[in-house]
Amino acid sequence: MKFTLSWLNQFIATEGLTAARIADNLTMLGLEVDSVTPLFAELEPIMTARVAAVDKHPDADKLTVCAVDTGTEVIQVVCGAPNVRPGMVTAIALPGVKLPDGTKIKKSKVRGVVSAGMLCSARELGLSNDHQGLIELDGQLAAGLPLVDALGLRDTVIEVDLTPNRPDCASVRGIAREVGSFVTGTLKPLVAAVTPLTGRNIGYEVIIEEPDLCPRYTARKLTNVTIGPSPLWMQQRLTAVGMRPINNIVDITNYVMLECGQPMHAFDFTTLRGQKIVVRQPRTGETSLTTLDGSPRQLDPEMLLICDAERPVAVAGVMGGLETEITGATTTILLESACFNPVSIRRTARKLGIPSESSYRFERGVDPNLADSALERAVALVVELAGAQADPDGIDVYPGNKPPLCLRLRVERVCSLLGTELSRDQIARYLKSIEFQITSLDETTLEVEVPSFRVDIEREIDLVEEVARLVGYNAIPTSQPSIRMDSPGRDPLRSLRQQVARIMTAQGFFEAINYSFVAETHLAHCRLTQDDHRRQVTRLLNPLSEEQGIMRSLLLPGLLENVRRNINFQRPDIRLFEMGKIFLQKQEGMLPEERMHLCAVISGHRHPEAEPLYFAAQEADFFDIKGLVTNLLLALRITGSGGATLFGFESRQVQPYCDPDCAAVICDDEKVIGSLGAVHPETLKGFGIKQPVYFFELDLKALLAMERTPPRFAALPKYPSVKRDISLVVPDTVPAGDLLRAIQSQQQKYLESVEIFDVYRGKPIQVGHKSVALSVTYRSATATLDDQSVDKIHDKIVNTLMTEFKARYREGSEA
Amino acid sequence: MEQELLRLKQEAEEALAQVAGADQLEAFRVRFLGRKGGVLTGVLRQLGKVAAEDRPRLGQLANDIKQEIETRFEEKKAQLTVAGADTDSGRIDYSLPGRYLPFGKLHPVTQVMEEICSIFEGLGFAVAEGPDVETDYYNFEALNIPKHHPARDMHDTFYVTDSILLRTHTSPMQARIMERQEPPLRYVVPGKVYRCDSDMTHTPMFHQVEGLLVDRRVSFADLKGVLTSFTHKIFERELALRFRPSYFPFTEPSAEVDVACVICGGSGCRVCKRTGWLEILGSGLIDPEVLKMVGYDPDVYSGFAFGLGVERIAMLKYGIDDIRLYYENDLRFLSQF
Repeated sequence: MKFTLSWLNQFIATEGLTAARIADNLTMLGLEVDSVTPLFAELEPIMTARVAAVDKHPDADKLTVCAVDTGTEVIQVVCGAPNVRPGMVTAIALPGVKLPDGTKIKKSKVRGVVSAGMLCSARELGLSNDHQGLIELDGQLAAGLPLVDALGLRDTVIEVDLTPNRPDCASVRGIAREVGSFVTGTLKPLVAAVTPLTGRNIGYEVIIEEPDLCPRYTARKLTNVTIGPSPLWMQQRLTAVGMRPINNIVDITNYVMLECGQPMHAFDFTTLRGQKIVVRQPRTGETSLTTLDGSPRQLDPEMLLICDAERPVAVAGVMGGLETEITGATTTILLESACFNPVSIRRTARKLGIPSESSYRFERGVDPNLADSALERAVALVVELAGAQADPDGIDVYPGNKPPLCLRLRVERVCSLLGTELSRDQIARYLKSIEFQITSLDETTLEVEVPSFRVDIEREIDLVEEVARLVGYNAIPTSQPSIRMDSPGRDPLRSLRQQVARIMTAQGFFEAINYSFVAETHLAHCRLTQDDHRRQVTRLLNPLSEEQGIMRSLLLPGLLENVRRNINFQRPDIRLFEMGKIFLQKQEGMLPEERMHLCAVISGHRHPEAEPLYFAAQEADFFDIKGLVTNLLLALRITGSGGATLFGFESRQVQPYCDPDCAAVICDDEKVIGSLGAVHPETLKGFGIKQPVYFFELDLKALLAMERTPPRFAALPKYPSVKRDISLVVPDTVPAGDLLRAIQSQQQKYLESVEIFDVYRGKPIQVGHKSVALSVTYRSATATLDDQSVDKIHDKIVNTLMTEFKARYREGSEA
Repeated sequence: MEQELLRLKQEAEEALAQVAGADQLEAFRVRFLGRKGGVLTGVLRQLGKVAAEDRPRLGQLANDIKQEIETRFEEKKAQLTVAGADTDSGRIDYSLPGRYLPFGKLHPVTQVMEEICSIFEGLGFAVAEGPDVETDYYNFEALNIPKHHPARDMHDTFYVTDSILLRTHTSPMQARIMERQEPPLRYVVPGKVYRCDSDMTHTPMFHQVEGLLVDRRVSFADLKGVLTSFTHKIFERELALRFRPSYFPFTEPSAEVDVACVICGGSGCRVCKRTGWLEILGSGLIDPEVLKMVGYDPDVYSGFAFGLGVERIAMLKYGIDDIRLYYENDLRFLSQF
């Protein structure tokens, strides 16, 4: 909502307050000011000037050479305007000045004659479309005055960002009423008196068939109307607040709406059939109406229409019809000033997709008591500016006339909710300052009559808010609530996420956050089959683009997009992870299942960013991602169902986006809790990535459900351990991990731990075989182990391996 | 064999005691421990020739001795490195960088969101989370925003069906929390929210933290107190604050909270659009209608709620000037915080 200061002053004196001060006060009343802009700032350097003498240009018939008094000196200016004459006062732009259209004025020669400035037309100054000649100013004006002052144009536009609850402030007078709460002056009425409208012998009638949708309809006829442009002052005000002047009648309806908040409409009376206005919904067969913008509009049975005796002529409160609009030939008009149901207007404007200044106000709520005074104001303006005669009477149908709303306001309620001490009389004073009436009061309670323009005030709490904003929020004290202490439980999933975040960042990973909506093409890039459950996606009805059309059912694609971006920006060594929800639409029409997942990717060098001085540039591989998962699970103390923190990493149930040659699942016995591996080359291609990417993913909810070993102290060993190394040659097909497991599963006494410390293939080891070196640690809790006891166990272990895996010792010649 | 091993051990220990400098240390290493031609290595190689029954015992001994010598060698090396600053080859170039494996970092939005939550946790608030895909009921109706309410214009909503949508704010959790428990209660709700709006200053997804506190006799003054404490903590200084009337259908009275511009300190700059103030959160007393809908008696209970934009606070804290950077996950960006 925009208004100008001069317009505001028409309704209330602002007593010398600056525009900035007014803006600040309005903001603190809840009418947030977006901008304060001086009008005609670009005309600031234009001055008044008096033409002293006019001579013919020696070389051009249509040009004249003028002596111009600028107030400080007399200069020579070449001019082409037909109306230039000695003695006239007009506007001059001197060298260096930039005109509103961007033209820069320079001292120059016109056909050999020096011109030291430019005399301007109204169009050149951006004041109107008049380019007939120089702008004519009052001949009494002195030369050398700023043009803005000479024309009385100095003004400021203030724009307020209105909240939807304050339609009463969608008008200059509504703003003036709020200003009234912080200045001493009183608000001036819109009109001095309102003509009573009886509806008798007026030659037309108004019938409201839907009183719920149209609580009031007033109208008045005017004859002998002359259609033409509206006066400059009105055009300037309309332009200043962002409306385009059209003709005097349309401009007046808009002007009155901006002034008092009442949307209005003018019909060409002679095009209305049957001297009748009927406010009703469409009848069967009435499916379309061409609105005054020339578009045919589809009507639906719920819309409210203004009709004549035969047909719809306007969509009520939204837009008028083309056939009854005001044209240059119009001589008789019917002015409508009515009130419509907010929900009905909102629905209609939405459906037709034509939000207008009128529907904006109606859907928020227009004061039904405003219709008659607004009509009076508009009629007066049409008479004054279009030379019309107004019918002495008009019509006012007011089925929705209601007694004013009275609310009870408890003083104690105000004080306890605001946390401040206010007396009954203080509260009454605040409310009266914005036209609320106090109808009765006792010690503890006020009875407040709500003015009809405050459609937002319906309950006691609404009055509490009025008091609060008039007191000023910053004048309300600050306190701390006294609330019973308690120790809220912590969300275990959130705690897990925090732990995971710490572990991941400690391992060099940066956290990514991607949009929850993604492109559907991701699913194909990930090679998901048609029956994959992750194809049951939640789809948006109105996405911003196809790229954001579905809710993600996987985290990996988002991270792959990030990998590509970082590679493109020369950061190819990547460690990223994301923890976020994935969405699975298990059943149409229901809320999807939301699951918290963790996904991490590694690409490029193993040690991104680490000092090249100390770390060789090694490419990350599968074992980096595997080690990471292992470390994560260890740090979280998550144990498999076996009780030990031991998980299988097996190549089964491979994800379609996983490279089949490098794919594994993280499993707890038979249960798969996540997957890891290299991203499938086709998937990489789909995301435009040309280097290997390793990933792992885990369902955090599933992880949370798993047992976690509580830390428990174990006595530190008192006796030394004994370490024995075994170097074996086994067939290449034997997984080294199986050797470990075979040793552990024997549950030999004294066996403390076993590690693989070398795996070697190639010469001199026989083809199809590999050498695996293991280091086994033995320890007793009760004694220092002697060689004999260790040998006994160790030999047993070695023998088992020999038979189980067809292994043999690695010979000296193979060293 | 055994004798030889023990002699070797003694010999090595004596030799090591004589070592006085990095060059000599290296010579020692080559002589005893070198992989090719080192004395110890040589002895170990001969183990294969020993009688089978002696092999394990001697093997163990040889290993122990080798380890012992290696340990001594490392000790000596460490000694020389510390003491050897004045020998040429042992000098430390202190200007060389230290050796480390870099940490990763949390996304700035997570960092700020966690900080916000932890400030409120310190005040006794619990943290709860809700679904991103919500029903129209919780996102709007339960918050006093019926269908065809003009306030719906303030929310550019992504819809899944007529009655299912992406939450436009974290406020739906107000109703969800209050429905399942009685006051007193205090919660903060961090989470992602969605609006179909995308330009220089808006991303279609962003993060909010919702807060609510309900009890008997909770006042607007209490709201001011709690939010003032919070603001001072999150910006780590006592910035001036102003509370400004506003409108949310689910709070009344409603207030926007502005802080003195963190960039210019209030004198006016580009960031605060020359006003000296920055809007950081919306708040208000919970509307009696909302309380009634969850079955609370508004004459007995009152409370306040607030919602703040995490990206906005992160921008102000870190001076980030383009909101779109948040979701590109560019390492050059992520590594800055």
